[in-house]
Amino acid sequence: MEEPTVLVVDDEEDFVQTLLKRLRRIGVDCDGAYNGIEALDKVSERDFDVVLLDMKLVKEDGNDVLREIKLLRPETEVVILTGHASASAGREGLEHGAFDYLIKPVEFETLHEKLREAGRSRFDTADGRAPEKCKPNS
Amino acid sequence: MVAGGSLDSINRPRSWTSDGVCLPFPWIGAKAKAKHKFFNMKMYAATIEKDVLEPRSRNAYYFRQKVLIILLMTMVSVIPLVGISYFSFQYFKNSWIDRTSVELASLADSRKETIELFLANQNNQLNGLIDQYPAEHLSDQNNLEALFQAVNKSGVITDLDVIDQTGAHLAYVGPFSSQLAGRNYSQADWFAQTMRQGEYTSDIFTGFRGVPHIVVAAANPERTMILRETINLDLFNSLLASAEVGDGGDAFIINRNGEPQTASRLDSTATPFSPQDVSADSGTKVFTTNDYIYSATSLKNGDWVLVLKESMDTLLSEYNSARNKAGALILLAILLIATVATVLTNSIINRIRVADEQRTALNERMREVEKMALVGRLAASVSHEINNPLQIIENQAGWISELLEDEKQGRISDFNEYEDAVEKIRSHVRRAKSITHGLLGFSRVEAAEHEKTDVNQLIAETISFLENKAADNRISITTDLQENLPSIRTDPAQLQQVFLNIVTNAIDAIGHDGSITVGTRTIPGGRMVAEFSDTGHGLPEDIRKKIYEPFFSTKKGENAGLGLSISRNIVQRLGGDIESSNNAQGGSIFQVFLPVEPGSI
Repeated sequence: MEEPTVLVVDDEEDFVQTLLKRLRRIGVDCDGAYNGIEALDKVSERDFDVVLLDMKLVKEDGNDVLREIKLLRPETEVVILTGHASASAGREGLEHGAFDYLIKPVEFETLHEKLREAGRSRFDTADGRAPEKCKPNS
Repeated sequence: MVAGGSLDSINRPRSWTSDGVCLPFPWIGAKAKAKHKFFNMKMYAATIEKDVLEPRSRNAYYFRQKVLIILLMTMVSVIPLVGISYFSFQYFKNSWIDRTSVELASLADSRKETIELFLANQNNQLNGLIDQYPAEHLSDQNNLEALFQAVNKSGVITDLDVIDQTGAHLAYVGPFSSQLAGRNYSQADWFAQTMRQGEYTSDIFTGFRGVPHIVVAAANPERTMILRETINLDLFNSLLASAEVGDGGDAFIINRNGEPQTASRLDSTATPFSPQDVSADSGTKVFTTNDYIYSATSLKNGDWVLVLKESMDTLLSEYNSARNKAGALILLAILLIATVATVLTNSIINRIRVADEQRTALNERMREVEKMALVGRLAASVSHEINNPLQIIENQAGWISELLEDEKQGRISDFNEYEDAVEKIRSHVRRAKSITHGLLGFSRVEAAEHEKTDVNQLIAETISFLENKAADNRISITTDLQENLPSIRTDPAQLQQVFLNIVTNAIDAIGHDGSITVGTRTIPGGRMVAEFSDTGHGLPEDIRKKIYEPFFSTKKGENAGLGLSISRNIVQRLGGDIESSNNAQGGSIFQVFLPVEPGSI
């Protein structure tokens, strides 16, 4: 099973950088964004399979960004990361179109598995099409 | 654009406020944060009151309040009461005296009239005799005696005397003829006066006769003869005696010099005034002293003063008795007022005190609740913040671990140490995670997800999770689950968390070698209970209440002590409650009560 292409959106630089390193080490094609605007820029430029979105963004409301992403790329799956250990934040995200939610702190293995799950789901719903690789302006 | 992309590490100065609003400059952010917190803190502080009174001074305070109010109530009632009574009685007394004075004066007037009439009558009688009979006729002893009989029908006259201008007796009728024989009155004062003025009424004197008497004399116009009569003093006195002056009263006549003319009932003719104060022109005067009322009027053209005297005691006897009765009643009233004031005040202040104490207790509870809420909010806030760095730590540690995998074991000395260290880091991140998630669970407010749940099954599952741990410690878990236990509408995940918590606690309480019994049954009132009984060390009385407090734990070590507080929280939000007690074997019993929906199957 191929790895999905991933965009990691989180305002914590350390987190994003190290996560990208770890993902690349196991062969995940991925990129990072530090805020909602940057994320939307990157999503519009490239069709990622999965976006990993931290809900606690400094400048924007995570749900707003989530909605925008789904509007831009309806078929991109979004996995949201939340620090709230409560089901409500997660469920709210699900209502706004997220694929699933994870509560921080989450271990890498769990995270990776969820990303793959999201990627598979996209593949499954994409009418048999193979997952696309990085293509500019798609 | 290439897979992997280049990431510029963008370093921008950021500052954070608790709302997550990012501001470009740290100091502005700090100020905004401080202001935000300030307003929040103020709101909390406003609702937290400090109860001011210490228990010891509280007694004194309420006592003082009672005393003040009782005194005030009593004073306000009593002072007007006493004041009005006093003034009323004074007024009444004074008007009583005034009225009596008027009566006494009028009595004096009437007596005066009688006396003056009498004296005038006697004078007229004498003058009549002189007018009617020539001197020679009167001077005859036998004639005089016949006349005497005639004029003395009333027995008023003691004797009758005819004296010539030389002062010698011409004729005499009366009992003192022997004493008077041969006496001559030419030197007597009365003789001169009679000769001069034609008539005369004497004061009382003891003349030749040795007996107090009063004399009325008249001379004929030629001044050749004087007709003189002595008037019976007793009769005169009886005039006065009949004056109604009450017990202790008196009526008498004194002359200008204060010499008594008549007998005094009380043997005293002293007056607080001088006889000269009362003259023919001044009319009847009234004098009052502390002991008597006097009314005085002049007689005989100012020569004499008639004095009527009434005793104040007698006069005021009725008033005094009325006043004394009133006084007793007032005292009684004061007593009653004081009693009622005391009882009422006592009751009211006691009630106020109880209310105050309840309010204090309520405030205490409020404070506790608010403290808890504050703690909850703080905990949640802290947890949120901590989850992020935890994530990063976990990430970094994981990264190190992955890098180590790539390294050949031999190339790094202490390779195992690195591996162990990283694993420990990750393990403690997990531990920190459980704490923050536990705290956040504690302050969680949202609704649980409710679905139809078979509690028996849930319990069986829970036990299966812990079977191994129990078996390792030689603890047996037995169940006594009611068949046909109705399914209830609740949150199975949270409920299971509760059951897990309780059974885990039971296992810990036992330690080794014991048993746990879990039972379920429905109870009246539309509820069911899941009972967890263990053979552990039980719950001493003093900690039984505290076990639900967050951060309370009797176990040393890693346990944050949140389990039971969260469990109870959960159960209460599910509509039930947890109760704990001790069983016969000295272990503890935890009962989880849950509502059963009517009509559940």
